[in-house]
Amino acid sequence: MGIARVALPVAAHAEFDYWAPSGLGIAVGSVVRVQLARRALVGVVVALSDTSEVETARLQPVTEVVAELPPLPDDLLAVARFIAGYYQEPLGQVLAQMLPPLENAPVSQRRAEALAGPLALTAAGMRELPPRLRRSPRLAELFDRWRAAAGGVLTELELQALPPRLRTTLRAWLQAGWLEPAAAAPDPAADGPELNADQQRAAAAIIAAGGRFAPFLLQGVTGSGKTAVYLAAAAAVIAGGAQALVLVPEINLTPQFERRVLAALPGRRVVTLHSGLAAGARRRRWLAAATGVADVVLGTRLAGFAPLPRLGLIVVDEEHDPSYKQQDVVRYHGRDVAIWRARLRAVPVVLGTATPALETLRHVQDGRYVRLNLPQRAVADARLPTLALAPDRGEAVYDGMGARLLAAIEARLARGEQSLVFINRRGYSPSLLCASCGWQAGCPRCSARLVVHRDAFELRCHHCGHRERLARACPQCGNVDLLPMGHGTQRLERALAERFPSARIARVDRDSTRREGAFAAIREQVHAGDIDIMVGTQMLAKGHDFPRLTLVGVLGADNALYSADFRATERLGALLFQVAGRAGRAGLPGEVIVQTSFPEHPLFRALLHHDYDDLAAALMDERRVAGLPPFSRLALLTAEAPQRETVDGFLAAAQQAGLLLRRDLRLAVEVFSPVAAALARRAGQERGQVLVRSDERAALQRFLAAWREAIAALPGRRVRWALDVDPMGFA
Amino acid sequence: MPGANRLTLDATLGERHDLRYTPAGIPAVECTLRHASLQAEAGGERSVECELFAVAYGDVATALSRVSPGSALRVRGFLARRYRTGITVALHINEFAMNEGN
Repeated sequence: MGIARVALPVAAHAEFDYWAPSGLGIAVGSVVRVQLARRALVGVVVALSDTSEVETARLQPVTEVVAELPPLPDDLLAVARFIAGYYQEPLGQVLAQMLPPLENAPVSQRRAEALAGPLALTAAGMRELPPRLRRSPRLAELFDRWRAAAGGVLTELELQALPPRLRTTLRAWLQAGWLEPAAAAPDPAADGPELNADQQRAAAAIIAAGGRFAPFLLQGVTGSGKTAVYLAAAAAVIAGGAQALVLVPEINLTPQFERRVLAALPGRRVVTLHSGLAAGARRRRWLAAATGVADVVLGTRLAGFAPLPRLGLIVVDEEHDPSYKQQDVVRYHGRDVAIWRARLRAVPVVLGTATPALETLRHVQDGRYVRLNLPQRAVADARLPTLALAPDRGEAVYDGMGARLLAAIEARLARGEQSLVFINRRGYSPSLLCASCGWQAGCPRCSARLVVHRDAFELRCHHCGHRERLARACPQCGNVDLLPMGHGTQRLERALAERFPSARIARVDRDSTRREGAFAAIREQVHAGDIDIMVGTQMLAKGHDFPRLTLVGVLGADNALYSADFRATERLGALLFQVAGRAGRAGLPGEVIVQTSFPEHPLFRALLHHDYDDLAAALMDERRVAGLPPFSRLALLTAEAPQRETVDGFLAAAQQAGLLLRRDLRLAVEVFSPVAAALARRAGQERGQVLVRSDERAALQRFLAAWREAIAALPGRRVRWALDVDPMGFA
Repeated sequence: MPGANRLTLDATLGERHDLRYTPAGIPAVECTLRHASLQAEAGGERSVECELFAVAYGDVATALSRVSPGSALRVRGFLARRYRTGITVALHINEFAMNEGN
């Protein structure tokens, strides 16, 4: 009798046997519906067998094969097994991450079906639309934009940025035949000049490695033309009949990237895949990848799970970006999984960045990855910005901004150039203090301070979402003169508006861009030159080219230096190098002013010389001495429960179990004592963790597999716990 | 009854800061008050001068922000520590009136 072993999206680390009726055509990889304890679930067949340990009479049949999806290919099943084993996650849950949403899956009500882009105006549209648009300036404006767009094409991300009502209109235009799907937008202007010598060398090395596993680090400063190298390699791979997979950290932040991909690969089918898509669109694109119709799949880490029968190249852009690590449900690192997949499929993988992760650099030093350098900015007259450090405190500081920065902003205003003031903190100020009795506004559910949101007259917790009305007076002593302490984007926006009353200021943070399309609208204003000063968080750091931006001021950089997290300095370094790269990209010389109280810190010294490798070398030394990654492997057991004693008791028992295992298995693994998390309480849950470290990956893996089972067997059902392998930090 | 803390002071308005608002939107103003008078002490009379830091909130602050420095005022209020650490005090003005002439 045919038995199908099915991995299901449940917490148990187990697969389930079902009877596979022969008429259903079940294969390994088939996506099937089954009943589990009267629940209907979708799972993936991971093995076929003739026998089962389950009594035949108790075996249930597979209900049906999901007709919409082809069986998952072997390489994805192997990737899933790798993730399940390496990250200690249930195989069924890993596989569930790989599937697109199914027909009857609950679809988010809010999200209108995305328009599949890119779309071009047809001849009929050119002819018939103008007379119909006279009464609607908004539609007329959209039409004009279309005609003016490169190649007469608007890309998908541009379409998504439109207000929902306009998108409804576009669907009608599409049906009327005034618009048509465009394969690509030929846009010679966007592609810039030919590859320079460095770019050519890099592209040639990647192309020459075709057909085998070859990991490359493509390292180049912001503006050095990494994208052009990826695209040249992708074009060659596609010309040879293969598919390219291009991963980016956050797709909604990089519409220019999509446009460039389309422009560089005319006539090729490019599909984007990310979690912001409606269920139907995501499924169709997944199928376009799986059937080999798509030449390029561009997307976030989940795109790395698309079946790609003709895969020939993987690119991971901004490989250092922490958002490649998924922090919930299934904890995996999108970059590392992509590298694993490249190995399985014997294809080259290119990791691109200006600021490589230390893990990646270590692989380069060990000779496992080949480094390709792009030392110069690709546009000939684009020079690196001048950098200066300025004091962060003292008399001359006006609401957090020093005299030097203010003078620089003033000069930009006079020249009609743009400035960016960067601070990685939203809200008005990060705490509210009573100077009379010392009270501070704290979150009732977290061990954290409440952030002042002055425009909404609210105090908000940035950890749990708690909100309350801004207190009229101190609840402890009655003093009305409560002081907002420290600076956030709202406070800087207000201070700049007071200081430069005629300047046009835009604030870019999660609060100001919550509305759909809001960020795209601000970006357009900046490009059109309608904004003089931007105040924003790290949303502004990533991959945006603002041609008239010549000044970047960085505030609050020192905060990360105080952090207990061992990766904080590395992250700050990557962020600062990236932010600094925003200034002066298109012929106008740029200037970067970083305010700090520690001008001697190696991070800032490296920044002054535009030498990330200098910083990386200093950080490497620190990590080596401290025995931290990339010189060791870490895993973190995190736990939370409503009562402190519950968490502490659970973690103490887990540590004990770990120590016993280490002894019994004779593994070179350190099991540290339980500690409270940096944020000891969040949303009413007490939090703690146990750190495990080893110099040997294999030893840690063996230990973790056994430890996970031992932890699962511990009493204490009211504790929520998880294992985080290669944690991004000690949060 | 313990808890008495009332001060009435004739003073001229010294330096006055611009009106500002607390995060909850309550008007606030800070100023210095200059006082000079004759007072009895140890069976005799003596002249007294002092300067005092003062604050006002709410409607009083709005009204005070319209008074020009140098004006003669009679203010009533209470004393509180100016900073959480330290022993300097500030007069919290509950009400004030313009003093006609001298």
